[in-house]
Amino acid sequence: MDEKELLACLARLEEPAVLATIVSAKGSTPRKTGARMLIGRDGVIAGTVGGGCGEGEVIQAAQDLFEGASPTTVRVDLTDDFTTWSPAVCGGIMNVFIERANPESFGEGG
Amino acid sequence: MKLSATQVAARILEALEQGERIYTAVVTDAPDRSLIGRRWWLSGTHSRGTLGSPSLDEAVAAAVPSLFPPRESRGALSRDFDYRDGDRIRTARVYLELHGPPPRMVIVGAGHIAIPLARMGAMLGMRIEVLDDRPEFAAPDRFPDARAVRVIDFRDPFADTPLGPSDHVILVTRGHSFDYECLVRLLRMPAPPAYIGMIGSRRRVRATHEQLAREGFSTAEMKRVRAPVGLDLGGQTPAEIAVSVVAEVILFHAGGTGVPLVEKERVVERFFGDASVRTGPVESATEAPEPETGPAGPAAPTQPATED
Repeated sequence: MDEKELLACLARLEEPAVLATIVSAKGSTPRKTGARMLIGRDGVIAGTVGGGCGEGEVIQAAQDLFEGASPTTVRVDLTDDFTTWSPAVCGGIMNVFIERANPESFGEGG
Repeated sequence: MKLSATQVAARILEALEQGERIYTAVVTDAPDRSLIGRRWWLSGTHSRGTLGSPSLDEAVAAAVPSLFPPRESRGALSRDFDYRDGDRIRTARVYLELHGPPPRMVIVGAGHIAIPLARMGAMLGMRIEVLDDRPEFAAPDRFPDARAVRVIDFRDPFADTPLGPSDHVILVTRGHSFDYECLVRLLRMPAPPAYIGMIGSRRRVRATHEQLAREGFSTAEMKRVRAPVGLDLGGQTPAEIAVSVVAEVILFHAGGTGVPLVEKERVVERFFGDASVRTGPVESATEAPEPETGPAGPAAPTQPATED
């Protein structure tokens, strides 16, 4: 999915979703600043912020936003990951901003 | 009303559809946490939304043109901005994006190199336009990836192709007199394309430059032309030459070195040295220069850094 398709998906969202955006990255990260992912209550809707490399942490943190947590920046440190010999090549640090993409669809106090 | 990410995404798509440039911003950190997640966009003289403080909106609006070079059509970065909050000066972290119409590659000369060049340029997401004075070459069916294929007159080659600083022009015409006509026009533009490349042998490039010098162009102006265009890959076929040209275009935007990564990183030389035994992790925070070990031969097996 290219960037334009992801923007179209974001613009057309109907279900409540959390938007995760890499707002800064240092070192060797699989995706660069500007990469986006949309996360629904049941998991990823579209896009990626790096596959196996730290994405799980972001998806985990996104769940709190469905419970009413405020938007925040998740710092994902991938510099230890190489020891796991993961298929994705990592080795950097990235800051991922997570927020409710469409707050109006979360309903009252959502 | 607070703008949501969804609303801003819709606005970005609208701007791209209309060929407009749009900047978007969202506060990702601030001492006043109510600002976090506030967003704003700016396109031309129109803006919408707020970052939660008029002073912060002003600071960001003033900074965006210098944060994103005019030749770029896409950008994403985070910056800290000072803003006024009552009597205090505070700092907020803002994430900014630029979305603009795709960069354009204008290929002058619709010969055998233009064909793979148009395809590869399109693969990079560029808008491709092909110009030639021969209708049988400047034929749309030869260039299925091009948005425009025009038959031109080399006496005024860009008459129907207005150009600006964000454009890329690649001259692959069939003769240096045609290249010359194009270069004179390009270099005399008030805002010439940032990337002007011209293919050719050293002899042909020299002949063109001699003509430019006679015409009174300075060496600084002559240096604006990337000629011969492309990276030194050693390829010969039209497709290989096209790879070398698009590789230089990528280098121009992405700012790499153009050297093979294996030579840039030298992982084996740096972390494994001469010895075939790995001596623990190397924490080379200072990237100290290492002794040259000569060309790395293929006969130096190294242990993979795993614990099986």
